[in-house]
Amino acid sequence: MSAILKLDDVSVALRRGKARAMPILDHLSLEVSAGKMLALVGESGSGKTIATLATMRLLPRGAKITGRIMLGETDLLTLDEPAMRRVRGRDIGMIFQNPLSALNPTTRIGAQINEAYRTHTGHSDRAARARTLELLGEVGIPDPAARFDDYPHQFSGGMRQRVMIAMALACSPKLLIADEPTTGLDPLVAKQILALLTRLRRTHNMGVLFITHDLSVVEEYADDVHVLYAGRTVEAGTAADFFAAPRHPYSQALLGAIPRLGQARLLSIPGTLPDPEQRPSGCRFAPRCAWAEPACAESYPAPQSLGGTTAACRLIAHIPPFVASTNVAAGQGRQSHAAGTLLEVENLTVRYARTNTSLISSLFGTAPKFTALDNVSFTLGKGECLGIVGESGSGKSTLGRAILQMVGYDGRIILDGEDFTALRGAALRRLRMSVQVVFQDPRESLNPRLRIGDSVAEPLKFMGKSSAARRQAAAGLLERVGLSARLLDVYPHTISGGQAQRVAIARALAAEPRMIVLDEPTSSLDVSTQAMLLNLLKDLAKERGLSYILISHDLAAVSYMADRIAVLNGGKCLEIGPSVALLANPSHDYTKKLVDASPQLRPSTGSLQISQSIQSRQAS
Amino acid sequence: MVRLIITRLSTSIVSLIILITLVFFMVHATPGGPAYSILGVKATAKAIAAMNLKLGLAVPLPRQYAVWWWHLLQGRLGYSYQVNQPVALLIRVYMLNTLALYLSAIVLGTILSIIVGLIQGVYYDRLAGRIIGGLQLIFYALPSFFVGTILILIFAVQFRWFPTGGISDLRIENPGIFVYISHLTLPVLTVAIVSIAGLSRYFGQTVREELTKEYVRTAAAKGVAFPRILFGHVLRNALRPLVTILGLSFPYIFAGSIVVESVFSYPGLGWLLWQSALGQDYPVISAIVLLIGVLTILGNLLADIVNGLLDPRERFD
Repeated sequence: MSAILKLDDVSVALRRGKARAMPILDHLSLEVSAGKMLALVGESGSGKTIATLATMRLLPRGAKITGRIMLGETDLLTLDEPAMRRVRGRDIGMIFQNPLSALNPTTRIGAQINEAYRTHTGHSDRAARARTLELLGEVGIPDPAARFDDYPHQFSGGMRQRVMIAMALACSPKLLIADEPTTGLDPLVAKQILALLTRLRRTHNMGVLFITHDLSVVEEYADDVHVLYAGRTVEAGTAADFFAAPRHPYSQALLGAIPRLGQARLLSIPGTLPDPEQRPSGCRFAPRCAWAEPACAESYPAPQSLGGTTAACRLIAHIPPFVASTNVAAGQGRQSHAAGTLLEVENLTVRYARTNTSLISSLFGTAPKFTALDNVSFTLGKGECLGIVGESGSGKSTLGRAILQMVGYDGRIILDGEDFTALRGAALRRLRMSVQVVFQDPRESLNPRLRIGDSVAEPLKFMGKSSAARRQAAAGLLERVGLSARLLDVYPHTISGGQAQRVAIARALAAEPRMIVLDEPTSSLDVSTQAMLLNLLKDLAKERGLSYILISHDLAAVSYMADRIAVLNGGKCLEIGPSVALLANPSHDYTKKLVDASPQLRPSTGSLQISQSIQSRQAS
Repeated sequence: MVRLIITRLSTSIVSLIILITLVFFMVHATPGGPAYSILGVKATAKAIAAMNLKLGLAVPLPRQYAVWWWHLLQGRLGYSYQVNQPVALLIRVYMLNTLALYLSAIVLGTILSIIVGLIQGVYYDRLAGRIIGGLQLIFYALPSFFVGTILILIFAVQFRWFPTGGISDLRIENPGIFVYISHLTLPVLTVAIVSIAGLSRYFGQTVREELTKEYVRTAAAKGVAFPRILFGHVLRNALRPLVTILGLSFPYIFAGSIVVESVFSYPGLGWLLWQSALGQDYPVISAIVLLIGVLTILGNLLADIVNGLLDPRERFD
């Protein structure tokens, strides 16, 4: 197979301000072949996005790239800017993670796609229009002529990504770089986008460099896998070999961190990613590796091939090999919750006024309303975790906000026998304290002007505790969520996303709640960080008898956490039942579709065995 | 787009009704009432009662309010105590002068701000950006009377290119376009220079932020050259907040007009307001306050509509 793109020993160093250039990516070599998809996998800070920007030569000023980036017979690093501009968009197309912000909000999508075509062909607007309509049809936008003059905000998330793809394909590039194109999309939509990319690369014989942090996304679609950790390759091979027997401890850990149906406990990786300044000189994963020996820290291990993949690990021969198994105990029972009911939600209906209504119609209450939740009823047991799943717009976040009393609603919400709608004043405030929340974006939900300790201790202020007692309690809470008391006096921007989410959990715990609403708590985090947090939440629930409402579009995470699952669609509750039974035997077509779109829910790989072997190793 | 205009228009009308009501009460809250201000401190109670009757102030307040509306709708704003002319006539002359001054100053200031802001936004970390940033701070700190006086000293006194002030020449009927322009030049420059400092700094910051947006990276990944990215993609997105700021700055510009028009003895609303305030000419003052309020509301309405044209997300369809 001929290589379209070949990265040969590429290193990138970035300079921030006047500081010395910092190496971000070291000695990366990879090959993307025509018609094939290479998945470049790594968590945040691994250097995967830097690798793609280096290929496009779109790195910020002051970046230093060494090595060779061969596109066919041309070394892109030798091209001047005008020549490089001819490569961008014509030979290499690129799509990005968030199509809403990656498209110009004030320009019609037709014009944006036209531009991609006209930049390189010099054709007239009319000729470009024909090409654009053809492209829109090809990526599956219904009625392209009618949508040509629409703006990005008039499309759904999935359709926007299709528009991005159409734009990237405008000049029939040989290579498509896709930077996390499905992250943030609902699983159903993500699946459609992946299927589309697969069809397009086959019909156009186009190479695809697919960047992702989530191995489960690419399991079915990639031909080759390349795993990065802290700026260096740890393992590479064909997807078939890699998923059958990942060799490197980090690859195994990444797979073990993905929640799967019926799994007792997720594998989490201890420690954190090293700063680019403080990367170990030996194996960079060694400080977090369960098998590491003193020798691992001495020099970077040479790549070794074993069983199809090449892994940079000295101990590759000693690490327990992959044990294939297709029979995971799917029916592992969870303890029943005989402890009684905590929360009752009866006939909950939420209507929002549509935005952009005129002053007059809002004054007279004649503005049209939109029903976000329609007559939803359920109960939540003491110590139980109820998962709420559904696509964007299904009403799942509205449900959380109603339980938190943040939106007006019809119906009744009763917590431990007390009806929220019947209470006023201090009694209502006390009851509201017993329901806490953790939001999706931990950084956005922490006040940037408050020290971590003050954020965590804030609920205690309302309980009338003294300043010294608050500080001590905050330190204890931070410790409980696995953070050092040193963080008490730092500001949110200095800590990582995973740490920030732990702080948010500590803050929720400070109010001594009886239940916590978790609204997409791990959706913006890396897989290994997610595993750590989900495990923590599970432990806390057991330890304190906490109940959770877990809202997520990630069925896998929900299946790992929840005792029961409720499926929402269009504001209605389609079905509700015990997780394992519901996912194994969905009675509703919509649930079936959701399950089909979540590859992790098929208990076909042996990652459980890996995780158990590492766990026993970590324990010893 | 039609819905946007209708919605914003209905909000503007509500604001107008509130404004007109406020001005009505403002007139009635003058110390001692209008009659007292006209007749002076030595007026007898009898004379004041007679004047109140004459001014229509003897009837109950709701009726006065209705009459106030009735007159307003007919364009009757009362008589000036000082010059004994209908206020409407007086204001029409001065308003045209003010509009000529401020519209040209705003157009000039905005165009220059956009140019300076684009340079600053693109070269924010280079020498050019830093020099612009420093100049902005200096000019921002200069009060308009100072800038006006300096301009007069240089271009009117030293070089004698323009007149120092305008009041007498402009009172001649049909002074001719060149006389008009020569009187306008220095005041327009003063207002423009003072507003550029703040506006261009704000716009430069917006351009700098827009340049870090992901759609800019997308355009670069398409192979679009930088000038085309800047003018084809960034400019339109960066203009939106500038338009909002412009709409909001209307009242400040008018407040500043009192100073600038005084420095140049320019016969505009600011100058008239100053003169009327000295003579406690309440009908004129209330009419000018009303007018400035109306212009502010119109300015914001215009800004909303322009924003709707610039940004499809603002249109309600």
